[in-house]
Amino acid sequence: MQHTRKSGDQDEIKMFPVQIEKIYLDEKAEKDWGTQHLLKSLPDVPVERVEDKKNLIKQFLSITDPIGMGKRNLLITHFYGRRLKPCPGTSRHICCGYYVINAISNCPMDCSYCVLQGYLNNPFLTLYTNWDELLLEIEGFLSLVRTPLSRLGTGELSDSLAMEPLFPVSGFLASYFAERENGILELKTKSANVDPLLPLNHRGRTVVSWSLTPESLIGEEESGTASLNERIDAAKKCQEAGYPLGIHFDPMIDYVAWEKGYEELVDFLFSRIDPKRIIWISMGGFRYPAKLKGIAEKRFPKTRMFLGESFPGRDGKIRYLKAIRVEMYRKMVKWLREASPDLFIYLCMESREVWKEVFGWSPENSQHLNQLFEERVKKFIGR
Amino acid sequence: MKIIHKIPFQQIALLDETFSINFMPDLQSLRSSIKAVGLIQPVLLRKKGDQYQIVCGFRRISVLKELEIREVESRVLGESERNELELFSISLHENLTSRGFNSVEKAITLYKLVHHFQIEPSAVIQRYLPLFSLEPNEKILGTYLSLAEMEDEAKRYVLKEEVSRSNIRRLATLSSDDRRSLLSLIVPLKLGENRLREMLTLLDEIKRREQVIIKEVIDRPEIQAILAQKEFTPIQRTERVKRVLMDLRYPKMRHMEEEFEKKRKELNLPSGVSLHHPPYFEGNGLRIEFQFESVDEYRAILSSLSLLADKEEFREMIKV
Repeated sequence: MQHTRKSGDQDEIKMFPVQIEKIYLDEKAEKDWGTQHLLKSLPDVPVERVEDKKNLIKQFLSITDPIGMGKRNLLITHFYGRRLKPCPGTSRHICCGYYVINAISNCPMDCSYCVLQGYLNNPFLTLYTNWDELLLEIEGFLSLVRTPLSRLGTGELSDSLAMEPLFPVSGFLASYFAERENGILELKTKSANVDPLLPLNHRGRTVVSWSLTPESLIGEEESGTASLNERIDAAKKCQEAGYPLGIHFDPMIDYVAWEKGYEELVDFLFSRIDPKRIIWISMGGFRYPAKLKGIAEKRFPKTRMFLGESFPGRDGKIRYLKAIRVEMYRKMVKWLREASPDLFIYLCMESREVWKEVFGWSPENSQHLNQLFEERVKKFIGR
Repeated sequence: MKIIHKIPFQQIALLDETFSINFMPDLQSLRSSIKAVGLIQPVLLRKKGDQYQIVCGFRRISVLKELEIREVESRVLGESERNELELFSISLHENLTSRGFNSVEKAITLYKLVHHFQIEPSAVIQRYLPLFSLEPNEKILGTYLSLAEMEDEAKRYVLKEEVSRSNIRRLATLSSDDRRSLLSLIVPLKLGENRLREMLTLLDEIKRREQVIIKEVIDRPEIQAILAQKEFTPIQRTERVKRVLMDLRYPKMRHMEEEFEKKRKELNLPSGVSLHHPPYFEGNGLRIEFQFESVDEYRAILSSLSLLADKEEFREMIKV
């Protein structure tokens, strides 16, 4: 059973991937617009007022599968502290200088490889409703930042659009960024929940991005996400609504039929999407902190994610053997360039050596890559 | 207080193990005691039809039979005096107070409670796990229930090698055939906990990567050749088997290692000089180490190293 709801104009909103069992409501968040909107959207879900969040979280952590249960139980509260942070990236690798906005923590989708399984110490799908304070923080950041154009996004601690039908914080941020000159918002998703974004006056300042994986792996490893067809349909809608699109082949997964799977994926993408409307494409081989394997294999005994030839890298993360990554990236670049030679393709969390082996050149450092992004955005949206 | 009867063995249902909680019992001290002073404590039997069912005293009866004693002092319960669960509970508590339970006996007890006496798992967790000083949770119960379902050969291995609960869980994921094949490999290796975990993980991952059964991996000639080498110590065998499994699990890495080694040999490096690739071939750059004891030796090494730059193999190694 899945939830559906009706929006103000009674258009049906996209399905939500899990059944919400209970809403835990921090009293401080009760009067916020986001809270009221959510409660109206889920009228039949029991609500419990919470005074002691820490104790609630502690109790929840002791149950058998707190990660799985956390996805079906919402905690609505305020976020205290910094919600805008540089993407943690990884040491001794080139990173793109992206900023992470923490608007939601955890995700209703349940990908077997998700690093959040070993990362979050609050298992609840947590929605932060103090949006005005979030905007003040973003405003403060953009007024002080020295780079001409910053890229910010909400897709690190949650999927950017999975909750959008119930909790439209991404639409709220897209409207805000439409008025900003030195900031661009990226919404990263594996969902198809784009309808609330379509009518917005975004001014091209919001990039809507999809993480894409061959269809067979979506079924096996990305529970609760939209199918490949649904994702591409949603991307097409956004393309038609004038949004710049981002595509992330991340994680790229080494499996027996990877060449066929990824080549067909590229073909399918460009059979539906105009490459000229794609602002950037990233590639990143599957990598993970060592502790994730045990957690994920316990939750997903049939997962094949950890059967590749992976070893600890210089940053401590486990990665595929370099020769495997380079081969995958090179072939992907070839297929992508065949579709459109001008695509802006970058590697996520890779070393200069790997960049050079894949592209024949490398950014000097993370700052240099950031500059290349700025140039790309200027060229793309003509600011 | 029940009267003590002398019941002949031929009237006892020796094969009825409804209330038995024994696995590989150590009978030596009991045998010595019975030989020295006879049976101190009578056994507990239940009348069942024209026979007697053993409730408490399986080990004592086994020793007495072995000593060719023909009857046993017993207290006897009537057929309907207690229900089966009560009798099992008597057996459990009698054993708890008189001896400890090994891990397989705990498993057998819990399995009987859930599957024979139909007690709800949640009740077994709360009431019975604490009796064995086990944490009352589902995972622990699951571990012991899976152990109870293993073949006797696997149970014996678990007991003998004192296999941890996490490795019992790994063993439980295997099919019965895979477990039998695995035992043929690991029994002669005499593995510690960590090595056992490594082997189980490697075998499981090879099996899933190659979509084969574990028997096919273990039957490979290179593994069988190692097991057949009588002069190897268990540690030497273990290291060699692990090397083969690592090569099967990480074939590309093995290929790169082999290629590197081939080129390294072609360089004919002087003795005392070693050449290393970066860990896991991540990153570029090679590392050379050398050792010398005199200035002349030092000069000779440097001179031979300076010639490396002209060798094709060396240039190729730098590119890897």
